[in-house]
Amino acid sequence: MSAGYRQQPGNSSSKRTDGKRIAGKQVFPPPGSGGSRPQMKERDLDYIPESVGGKEPQPAGSHIHDRIRTGTVVGKSLSLVDSNAKVTGQAWYGDDVRLPNETIGKILRSPHHYAKIKSIDTSRVEALPGVIAVATGQDASNSFGVLPVTKDEHAMAVEKVRHMGDLVACVCAESEAIAIEALSLFDIEWEELEPVFDRKMGLEDVDEPIHWRGKYHLSRTNVQKRVFQEFGDRSLVENAHASSHGKWSMEGVHHGFTEPHAVVAHWDPNGRLQLYTPQQVPHYTHRALSTVLDVPMHQINVIRTFVGGGFGGKSDPFPHEMCAAILARKSGRPVRITFDREEVYWINRGRHPSDIEVKMTADDIGRISGFDIDALIDGGGFASFGHVTSYYNGVLATAPYELGSFHYTGARVWTNKPASGAMRGHGAVNTRCAVEVGLDEMAEQMAVDPIDLRLANLLPPHSRTITGFRITSNGMREALEEVRNGSNWDKKFRQLPLGKGIGVGCGFFISGSGLPIHWDPNRFPHATVHIQVDMDGGVTVHTGAADIGQGSTTAVAQVVAEVLALPIEMIHVRSHESDTAPVDLGSYSSRVTFMNANAAIRAALEIREQILKAAWDILGYHPNTLVLNDRRIYYKHDPSIGVSYLKALHKAQEDKGSLIASGAYRSPPMGGVHKGAAAGLAPAYSFSAYVAEVDVDVELGLVKCTNVWAAHDCGKALNPLAVKGQIIGSCHMGLGQVLSEKMVYGRTGHLQNANLLEYKIPSVHEMPHVVPIIIESCDPEGPFGAKEAGEGPLLPILPAVVNAVYDAVGVRFRDLPLTPDIVYKGIERQRRALKLDDCLELPSPRLEHGPMQEVLVARAAEHKTRDKARQRTEDTSHYVNGVLFGFDPNIPLEDQVDGWRMATEPDPEQLAELGLAGKAWLKKTQREMGRD
Amino acid sequence: MPPFTLHHPESIEEAVETASKLIAQGDDFDWVAGGTDVVPNYKWRINPKPHVISLASIPEANQTSRYEIGCMTKLSSLTADNEVHPLIVEAASKIASSLIRKSATVGGNLCLDTRCFWYNQSEDWRRSIDWCHKADCGTGADCRVIPNQNTLCVATYQGDLAPNFMALGAEVTLIGPDGKRVMPLEEFYQLDGMKKNVLQRGEFMLKVTLPKDAYDYEGSYQKLRLRESWDFPEAGISAAWKKGDYSSLRIASTALESIPKTHDDQVSEFVSAWEKGATISKLSDAIRKSVKPVNNTALPPNYRRSVVRILAKRALNNIGCE
Repeated sequence: MSAGYRQQPGNSSSKRTDGKRIAGKQVFPPPGSGGSRPQMKERDLDYIPESVGGKEPQPAGSHIHDRIRTGTVVGKSLSLVDSNAKVTGQAWYGDDVRLPNETIGKILRSPHHYAKIKSIDTSRVEALPGVIAVATGQDASNSFGVLPVTKDEHAMAVEKVRHMGDLVACVCAESEAIAIEALSLFDIEWEELEPVFDRKMGLEDVDEPIHWRGKYHLSRTNVQKRVFQEFGDRSLVENAHASSHGKWSMEGVHHGFTEPHAVVAHWDPNGRLQLYTPQQVPHYTHRALSTVLDVPMHQINVIRTFVGGGFGGKSDPFPHEMCAAILARKSGRPVRITFDREEVYWINRGRHPSDIEVKMTADDIGRISGFDIDALIDGGGFASFGHVTSYYNGVLATAPYELGSFHYTGARVWTNKPASGAMRGHGAVNTRCAVEVGLDEMAEQMAVDPIDLRLANLLPPHSRTITGFRITSNGMREALEEVRNGSNWDKKFRQLPLGKGIGVGCGFFISGSGLPIHWDPNRFPHATVHIQVDMDGGVTVHTGAADIGQGSTTAVAQVVAEVLALPIEMIHVRSHESDTAPVDLGSYSSRVTFMNANAAIRAALEIREQILKAAWDILGYHPNTLVLNDRRIYYKHDPSIGVSYLKALHKAQEDKGSLIASGAYRSPPMGGVHKGAAAGLAPAYSFSAYVAEVDVDVELGLVKCTNVWAAHDCGKALNPLAVKGQIIGSCHMGLGQVLSEKMVYGRTGHLQNANLLEYKIPSVHEMPHVVPIIIESCDPEGPFGAKEAGEGPLLPILPAVVNAVYDAVGVRFRDLPLTPDIVYKGIERQRRALKLDDCLELPSPRLEHGPMQEVLVARAAEHKTRDKARQRTEDTSHYVNGVLFGFDPNIPLEDQVDGWRMATEPDPEQLAELGLAGKAWLKKTQREMGRD
Repeated sequence: MPPFTLHHPESIEEAVETASKLIAQGDDFDWVAGGTDVVPNYKWRINPKPHVISLASIPEANQTSRYEIGCMTKLSSLTADNEVHPLIVEAASKIASSLIRKSATVGGNLCLDTRCFWYNQSEDWRRSIDWCHKADCGTGADCRVIPNQNTLCVATYQGDLAPNFMALGAEVTLIGPDGKRVMPLEEFYQLDGMKKNVLQRGEFMLKVTLPKDAYDYEGSYQKLRLRESWDFPEAGISAAWKKGDYSSLRIASTALESIPKTHDDQVSEFVSAWEKGATISKLSDAIRKSVKPVNNTALPPNYRRSVVRILAKRALNNIGCE
């Protein structure tokens, strides 16, 4: 090679020799560089997999992406690429957007729980000096909703309000003070209706259901969605050796993100809407705006600001976003609306308050023969994601265990309360808690260790669940083993003194939803990523992935940097504007890393190919023999023969200028064909196991979680630091739900604690010491093997704590959160039942292993060998749920077993014995009743 | 935030004069010290006034010594380093969060507004329940905690310092247009969630004074709360005594009623014939029976009442009462 390739303009001859920059002088560093590092870095073999000659261990086998690993960033702990903006206060959140000549919008909210609006007179509002525009429901009567099947929301109430705080009208004014004053000048005539607050009452017929679904409406009830699913051999339930039956009551919880909702809308001089909003799912807002405003989507640019926390609470298209756009259109000026914390609770979309009943049975060799769940969930005033939540409450509880039979009835009802929706761990959290506590109870009846009970009943890698979900990689067993060892479980469980306890819980969650809500996955991809590389060598990545703090921008930047072997500083991710970002479904259902990073890898591979081809032209060696490493491309067998990245890039650009590539991700066909089969279907699933230790103040009932060992199978940690952050953050959020957080509705139906003082998010003092343990099962379809780590880690903390409390005081609690009054009451009841004077004399639960223990340990050992072979694809035989019960995986189960059920509607004879939510099946739809 | 005029008197005289002038003009006003209680309430438009008089620039209110603590003393400066009584240090360290303690003051904590689920809410929220007795906006609204009684406000006093100062026998100095008043702290509070204390219009608390023997007292404060930061007490018991001298024992409680109170009656009933072990249990139970919390804070009243027994027992055990 010659002296090198000189980049224009600039001259590197004035370079200082001490490695420092010359102040005030812009000098291009040596050819091919992307920073101040003058020399190429050595290949980092520690981060190159064994299968391709590196030193990175691969216990779970090799991966299809191993070949494109360059040892640059994948697997290394990096700070997030947007962290500088955040820690220096320069990140621009929703309310930081200040456009010239802005006006301030305020929303008039319903003072009634349920009422018809007979008339609205806005004349006094309009007459107030300083008011610029006023809008009511009549200004935008098109309905919208996050799911196409349940479009039941309006920008503002059109005919009636459905909960206190529901939007009635909005106004924009020169100042906030004027806007607030204007709110008091609306003259509204109301006709109050009888509200429904109790979710059980939602199952009953009423005069005026909260929504009306025409011929699909279920009698005259407030049931929005009912689900029935039955799979497996129900005869196995008889002759149970152990069983657990628990009725749970769980309060609603809110995401509690830091940034309140805010939006800025502006119609630019060309009549296009520019809308700034901290959204997790800008695309849905984009669609809804188009519907509500009657404007084609290409005339709307949705700009996602930085998002100050989302957790599912910013994933619906929101009515206030419509309000801002409507006011801005009317006024011709930008409109900014920022919520008070109280308004954040009124728009809600938090976790559903639920009544959950779980019945489980185990047979004489400790197999889980029956698994019955009934979930009645309180949806509040609107559908939101509720259609999906109704399924998730059942189907996401079916793994990681192999089940003899599964029976689920679920119903979501409307009530006159702020709408529930999607929240981290969507739909899976509450039933997961109930199920894992049920397993603990069964283990106690069988006198076995609950970890061994789980280990002997796990589905292996590359198998199918009872409802037909395709499991690929599966690190469940390893996760359980790690927490067992890490926590020193065998020395502590059932051996700690009164007040101290230890408990275990597992989790299972989707890594991306298999079905894009708005389109056919066979006709349009889930995710698309564009990459552009210009002459400076910097790589611009366009993606619609919404970074909500989880690090999706970093993940996308990382995989591109890895494929192209460039320093991460050279990758610039542009993800804020719908004008430049390819369509993306946004940040929900833990899909972003899996889908966007996969799409980004594909786009980067295309760029890589073009650059390698140019290098071939220069060097004369075929790309198969070339190595990409840190801004340089060289011949595999003689590294001195090479070309700088920049020179190769410029060669590639000779005829066409900047390089452009597009990559997409589409999930493979999978899953069953029954009604609801798509709910819970995902290209991969994450698994987790936690052990929690608690200290219970036995006299006061105060529970403090002190230690958590948290193992999560994320496939492959692209950025271990970020994964650990998600695990620790999930523990915090889950602890809130299990110990202190609840949305309190008083006797008048009002939300009593719509503020951060009375809504009890755990403080730093309540945070236990969390030991995050990353399990890498290397998913065959994940980007470099990665799966989700954002939601799944939340699930196990709840049951782990509840089980630990039992271990500490010997009382089973089934009401969440475990506030001290609940725990106190439970302990007192136990004290009286045992006729003790002082609760400090309560006996601690103890375990003497029964005969079943050996059976389970032996089976677990056998399964461990089985799982390892399957994980490493040494064994590629079929495996479906049922093999444990002796069925042949190669023959359809219904052909082998008499009475094998696969039903999505109850038989008439079943109707009498359905659970609480199942009662919804006693009603007929209007169509069945012969009306419409 | 509703607009108001902020006054900054720089002496006691000027403060009294400012207040008198506003009274004469018929203008309503509030005193403000650290503002951590008043300002959030104003933001929610809970009884906001057009004028606010700050005590921050009055030199006497900012003075602190071992025995006299000015009302403007920041909670964060109630530390052992500043030679503050250990019981007060303990109580102050349990108030709110370290950030709030940097602004919040002793006077503000003692004069804390009473709190209630139906009262500490935004204006829209309160309008939708047709207001409540404490902030009725001229409607004469009923109490929402205990309906059909229109005479007493049952909002809960949730200050932490008061029971501890009471247990040490502290006195407060009040300054007003009619001059200076000094009284024991327990006489400062008046049973009604609206009236709260004896402060007359135009009168403010200048300082708290500990008796000469206060430092002979050893005390313990037991605070019930869900989180170890931010939260107001759901129940609080303070006990103090001159170690070994049962006749000196004092117990006071907070967050259980509209005012903090001492439990001299219960203490005197048992203290004369102290019986090791048994008396603590009897005394704790008597204190539990003497309080009547209502349902207007985060935790249910029956629970708060039940655990008063435990809190009292622990406070007594902590100071070596057996």
